[in-house]
Amino acid sequence: MASTVIGAGIIIEGEVSADEDIVVQGVIRGKLDAKEGVTVEAGAVVEADISGGPLTVAGSVTGNITSTDRVELQAGARVVGNVKATRITIADGAQFKGNVDMDV
Amino acid sequence: MAQARTSSSTSRQDSHRSSPAVIGAGARVRGKVSGEGDLTIEGQVEGEVVVRGQLFIAEGGRVVSDIDAAGLRVAGTLEGDVSVTGEVHILAGARVRGDLHGSSISLEEGAELDGSLDCEFSLPSELESGGGRAARR
Repeated sequence: MASTVIGAGIIIEGEVSADEDIVVQGVIRGKLDAKEGVTVEAGAVVEADISGGPLTVAGSVTGNITSTDRVELQAGARVVGNVKATRITIADGAQFKGNVDMDV
Repeated sequence: MAQARTSSSTSRQDSHRSSPAVIGAGARVRGKVSGEGDLTIEGQVEGEVVVRGQLFIAEGGRVVSDIDAAGLRVAGTLEGDVSVTGEVHILAGARVRGDLHGSSISLEEGAELDGSLDCEFSLPSELESGGGRAARR
């Protein structure tokens, strides 16, 4: 279980950085820097550039995503922004607007 | 610690019962944190914290910000003024620098506090009528 959980009722306006896994169920506006995995759960709203390790999105992200690992856009996800990652999956039912940049 | 609910719909349908929010030991937040539910801070927060629920600053947690909450328990480090509608508990090992305002404030042995206490309470009726005389009894 992740040690940082931004719960459903929580709104953060500013900068979040974490050396550990982070789960977002609430709202983050600003910037999100993680060294480990980031999970944006269904119902969560992130209006921020995200950088981190493995990234799973089921909620809404507006901003650029940079991952050192894989990015997974699950069904129900809504992403507006560019995605830079080594691997990416976009599930059936995910909404995505932006560019994909994979290091080839 | 409370278990995460497997049915992800529960927390969103009922905003009053939001899932437990934790800013973990490896996390740092710079900016404003606001919310309806309870919040536990084990990491670092700089900025402003406004929550409707209970705020817990765990051992090892470091908060440099003014705090507005329904209740507060501090076991870590806090620098900032506190405005709480409910109870404030400063636990053993906590270090607090700032003014505290709450309905009731408790300081455990071993806690450090540098600041003023402002606690609203109503005097017992015998004290209210003739404060000076009653106090001398």
